[in-house]
Amino acid sequence: MVPCTAPLWVVAAYRFPGQVWHLELLAPRRALYVLCAQKGVYCLSLDHLSRSTSQDDGDSEDSELPSFVIPVGPDACILPDASLCAFTVLEDTLVTLVQGPTQWKMQLFERPCPGEDPQPGGQIGEVELSTYAPPAGVPGKPADPRFLPVLCCVSPPASRVPHGQLWGPGSFTLKEALFGLLFGADATLLESPVILCGLPDGQLCSVALKVLVTSRSAPGDPKALVKILHHLEEPVIFIGALRTEPQAEEAAEETLPGEDVHSDCLVALGPYGRTLAIKASWDEAGNLVPELREYCLPGPVLCAACGGGGRVYHSTPSDLCMVDLARGGAPLDPTQPDEGPGGLPPLLCPASLSICSVVTLAVLSRAPEGGTELLALSAKGRLMICSLDLNSEAPGLSPVSRANTGQKIKELLSGIGNVSERVSFLKKAVDQRNKALTSLNEAMNVSCALLSSREGPKPISCTTTVGWSRLQLQDVLMATCLLENRSAFCLGQGWTLCIQVLTSSSALDLDSAGSATTYTIPVGQLSPGSQREVTLPLGPGENGTFDLPVTVSCTLFYSLREVVGRALAPSDSFEDPCVDEDPPDVLPEQEGICLPLSRHTVDLLQSLRFPGLAPPCTQAPPLRGPADPVDAFLEACREPGSQPGSQPAGPASLRAAYLPPSVACIKVSAELLRAALDDSHSGVPLCCATLQWLLAENAAVDVVRARALSSVQGVAPDGADVHLIVREVAVTDLCPAGAIQVVEIQVESSSLADVCRAHHAIIGRMQTMVRQQAAQGSSPPDLRVQYLRQIHANHETLLREVQMLRDRLCVEDEASSCTTAQRLLQVYKQLRSPSLILL
Amino acid sequence: MSHQTPPDSSCLDLWREKNDQLVRQVKVAQDSGLSLRRQQLAQDALEGLRELLCSLQGLPAAVAVLPLELTVTCNFIILKTSVAQGFTEDQTQDIQRGLERVLETQEQLGPRLERGLMELWDSVLHASSLLLDLLPALHRLAGLQAALWLSTDHLRDLALLLQTLNGSQSGSSEDLLLHLKTWSPPAEESDAPLTLQDARGLRDVLLTAFTYRQGLQELIIGNLPKALSSLHEAASGLCPRPVLVQVYTALGTCLRKMGNPQRALVYLVEALKGGSALGPPLLEASRLYQQLGDTAAELESLELLVEALSVTHSSEAPQLLIEVELLLPRLDPALPLHCGTQSQAKHLLASRCLQTGRAEDAAEHYLDLLALLLDGSEPRFAPPPSPPGPCMPEVFLEAAAALIQAGRAQDALTVCEELLSRTSFLLPKMSQLWKGARKGTKGLPHCPLWVSATHLLQGQAWVQLGAQKEAVSEFSWCLELLFRSTPEDKEQGAASNCEQGCKSEVALQQLQAAALISRGLEWVACGQDTKALQDFLLSVQMCPGNRDASIHLLQTLRRLDRRDEATALWWRLEAQTKLPQKDTTWSLPLYLETCLSWIRPSDHETLLEEFRTSVLEPRGL
Repeated sequence: MVPCTAPLWVVAAYRFPGQVWHLELLAPRRALYVLCAQKGVYCLSLDHLSRSTSQDDGDSEDSELPSFVIPVGPDACILPDASLCAFTVLEDTLVTLVQGPTQWKMQLFERPCPGEDPQPGGQIGEVELSTYAPPAGVPGKPADPRFLPVLCCVSPPASRVPHGQLWGPGSFTLKEALFGLLFGADATLLESPVILCGLPDGQLCSVALKVLVTSRSAPGDPKALVKILHHLEEPVIFIGALRTEPQAEEAAEETLPGEDVHSDCLVALGPYGRTLAIKASWDEAGNLVPELREYCLPGPVLCAACGGGGRVYHSTPSDLCMVDLARGGAPLDPTQPDEGPGGLPPLLCPASLSICSVVTLAVLSRAPEGGTELLALSAKGRLMICSLDLNSEAPGLSPVSRANTGQKIKELLSGIGNVSERVSFLKKAVDQRNKALTSLNEAMNVSCALLSSREGPKPISCTTTVGWSRLQLQDVLMATCLLENRSAFCLGQGWTLCIQVLTSSSALDLDSAGSATTYTIPVGQLSPGSQREVTLPLGPGENGTFDLPVTVSCTLFYSLREVVGRALAPSDSFEDPCVDEDPPDVLPEQEGICLPLSRHTVDLLQSLRFPGLAPPCTQAPPLRGPADPVDAFLEACREPGSQPGSQPAGPASLRAAYLPPSVACIKVSAELLRAALDDSHSGVPLCCATLQWLLAENAAVDVVRARALSSVQGVAPDGADVHLIVREVAVTDLCPAGAIQVVEIQVESSSLADVCRAHHAIIGRMQTMVRQQAAQGSSPPDLRVQYLRQIHANHETLLREVQMLRDRLCVEDEASSCTTAQRLLQVYKQLRSPSLILL
Repeated sequence: MSHQTPPDSSCLDLWREKNDQLVRQVKVAQDSGLSLRRQQLAQDALEGLRELLCSLQGLPAAVAVLPLELTVTCNFIILKTSVAQGFTEDQTQDIQRGLERVLETQEQLGPRLERGLMELWDSVLHASSLLLDLLPALHRLAGLQAALWLSTDHLRDLALLLQTLNGSQSGSSEDLLLHLKTWSPPAEESDAPLTLQDARGLRDVLLTAFTYRQGLQELIIGNLPKALSSLHEAASGLCPRPVLVQVYTALGTCLRKMGNPQRALVYLVEALKGGSALGPPLLEASRLYQQLGDTAAELESLELLVEALSVTHSSEAPQLLIEVELLLPRLDPALPLHCGTQSQAKHLLASRCLQTGRAEDAAEHYLDLLALLLDGSEPRFAPPPSPPGPCMPEVFLEAAAALIQAGRAQDALTVCEELLSRTSFLLPKMSQLWKGARKGTKGLPHCPLWVSATHLLQGQAWVQLGAQKEAVSEFSWCLELLFRSTPEDKEQGAASNCEQGCKSEVALQQLQAAALISRGLEWVACGQDTKALQDFLLSVQMCPGNRDASIHLLQTLRRLDRRDEATALWWRLEAQTKLPQKDTTWSLPLYLETCLSWIRPSDHETLLEEFRTSVLEPRGL
């Protein structure tokens, strides 16, 4: 196998107005037929190079082109049709395949020549082939088909037209038996050439040409004219024929010049390697029967060619393979030595020729020593002649003459170039696969570590903290997620941290659902022991409001598609339409691994700010939510000369002075709290410990602890003040054993919404605490059931009154509704300070 | 009303100028005699219209631009349909897009729910009562929609659309013809942008196409009076000449089937005066003459048909408009207007000659046909008769039968040899055949019926040439093959794909009977009556319904003086004649029928009469 680079001189280069899909050279007429995507068939006469050039000079655009580049103009177009997908030329006819709205149409034209206008009745036949699902494209513009249909012409051996002279290169002659078997007695009797057609939907069908002459008004009846030979279940990308039987009586025939081989085997290939071979054979009874075999070759197939000696060459991105369809050695049944053609091999073993990514392949004439020469074009644009000497494998034994040396060195150099191209490709593919495997292995380890550690700290954790910072003249509540890798494994490529921020529905608008935002952050490389911090804004939202509480969930995601998908499609370096898509069916439906890490709820207590507590040097600038018209009014009302010290400054306090604050109150038994907080807050007054516990996740907890505060004045995210007061009281009438020490947590704010949020946050903490305590098995003291009932009954009354007042509010006029509303507020106030205690 | 300010009016002028220029280009293309240039001009204009439409639809819809936009949409659809020679799904989308654009200006589009086309039309037509400027363009678009629905047989939608267009609320939505007739599109203003085809033109095309389609359908299902009235309606409308020829031919067919041959003839003559496509009326005329029993005129019509089809009528390039032809159903062979190709006509002529006893003419025509089909030097491919006609081997056999009938046995032998030599490699290997017979293998080679039939005809040719030995050996060969072939054999083999014509059990039986009788007759001629008796006996067993076989057997029995058996056979024959006669030969291939006619006993009536007297006399005595 010696590839060599032949010396070539460029005589002319043509530039077509569209992508070239197919071309055929009709050598005896020195005519080149070219199918341009979305344009039609062009015909160039190779004798008139100068004439074509002179037509286009003066065009300013062309001056940039090299002098030998000839733009092909519309006058060379012999068949303008945007829906043409394939053609083949034979004798004086042009056979085309057109993509109709619902069907493929085969049309037959009298072969038009360049320069002359074809007769109006140039079309002499038409038949519709089969239904197909039209590819989805932009309406009005046909989509670029991924696979084009294949046409080729098959002639019977007895055809009187000397084949090979006026026929295109895509045609071949089949032996009588196979021809008759495939196309029937009619085509055989008529000695009609047959057009074989391989469609992208996998159909392989045939149309006898002599039958396909119909008038324009009545296309032929497909049932009568079209014979479906097979369904490949893959798009057909290649149809060829070859000779598998070396026959003695026809040995003489092959030596005749211009006489071509009569093939006895038909081959069709799909892009994923499915291969069909059909031969004629005789069954036991002497009947002629088709022998049909399907093979699977390594794909994806870029191109293929049939050679002498029953060999099929096909190219994949990684190799050029050769399979032998000829019956190797002895006939299958030795008792019937001459009983017709032998069978096809049950299996094909592709032999590698070690040339990668050949995109076009042609078998040159058989070399005299029995070898074969292939003309191949690689994806990188190298045109190669590959001589296959399949018999003699003894290099270096023959004496090399001086004259040969130069040639030999050239060949060797070319061989080295070819090998290095292949090596670089293979290396890249192997590297990619190794990387993917390593990455997969690590992903497995990480997943196991995370999923197996049920208790104790997880080896990979994500903690979320909340803080305020100033961004673009606005205070923003930021969540900081800290991803820590304490495992022994590395989080590498393919891992992403997904953080979902889920807001609760707004308290004021009960209908609106909460919104969710997901941030996806590639982890990159996180080695053991290292950590990564991600900060994201929680609010204010676009309308300046905070929808607390907000839930922040962190998840690790490993993308299989990103890591494995690329390695499974090793051909991504090629611009080939057949491989640039994801490999089919190799990846499962789920595209990755999802590992939940943590879930954190940000509530009002965490986002409170305490400007009064901060030391003066680090005091934040005055906090102000969006301008409130009430605040503005109050500001305007203030007397200009008032002392700043006499009253708390700021509109918030003013507001507090004019609008009575809303209050909510929660009572917890001191014993319960003490039990819960004992271990961490021993030696601190219970009220202070409670406050510290409540604000544990707030940045201000240190100051609160340092000053041992039991009440604190804070500012909610929306600017309203929030007052938290914790005090110890005794409740006497609840328990028969005597007074119960109770911690009362009171929330005061001018904003009702903030009272609700704070209340909600405190209750949430209480619930968690109570659940923990219950788990430890503490028992509540004796209670006076009668008293509890009384409280419950009071509540029921209040609730009924609320219902009644609300109903009344709907029907009353303005004056009386005012009083009703006031009463309603009072009742709500009563409800908010219950006499019930958490015990 | 739209709140968008219309684009700069100069821009509107520019677009309008572009539209007008493209329409003019299409008209130039239409007049261009050179088909290639025409095609290119049309393609370019189509591309130009597509681009113009894209730029128009790239902007928000505005009332001021809509008339132009709809006009461009219509021009685009018309040109695209006529270039592609048919409507596609794309055109539906184009129309839908146009309607949605109208609704956009009305701010009625609302949420973009999936709306049916008909609902879209409803809302647009209701909205457009406010936009009088838009009406002409909308009617044009409606005309295109109607054409699309007509060509795809969505007649209900079509009727509803027309009803809405006419503003009629009457419930008689079914009377499409009435709706079409009452539809009067508003007149186009003289200063409107140029259009390829206006709404009135579309309506006329729709009227003709609809009535003609209707007529054809009724004709096919056999509802002749309705077909007649529809076709009359079509002929009275505006009708391009080629369509008129078709309508007249269909009228001829209809009247012939109604038993009005004279009136049918009048229409066919009118159709022939049309001058373009002479095939269908000539074929129809031949059917008419056949029905009238005027064989000479029938064959003359067929000869003219062959001649007419040999000239490739340079069909005029279709107009770049929506034409009646575009809206007609595809001409498929089942339609009465399908006249086939030249070789099909030639075959019809030849077989009619053979059937009507003009053997010399038939032979000549068959030889012409074979030359036409097989001659590779012909510049043109010539098609063989396609199914439902006979397959190629049968054409050869018919030719051979015609030659024998015409007394040209030597030529018949040549034809048969040609047939066998061309298909020899498809047939089972004879060595295998013998080997199989020797070994008694279960699987017997399958052999197509026409191969056996070829040997039968070869034998008959030898009979005519007086070569008894050859004849007997061919008949024996034929029988050998026949006993091996089974018609039920669903063999996928090469040669069996065209045997629909002779696959039936009946054909196989008759072929066996014919071969046996033929060989028996040869034995009779040599004076070997016992051998003949054997063959005739076998033939009666093989094919009990074949009267000829029984009569030959009867004759032989009488010659051998086996009176009792003869009498028994005669009784059976008598019983058979009393049964209602079944016509068994109706499905037989023509060559077999011809062959059977040669071996028919000539004087069987007298023979039977003699028997009647001889059998009944003793009883009477």
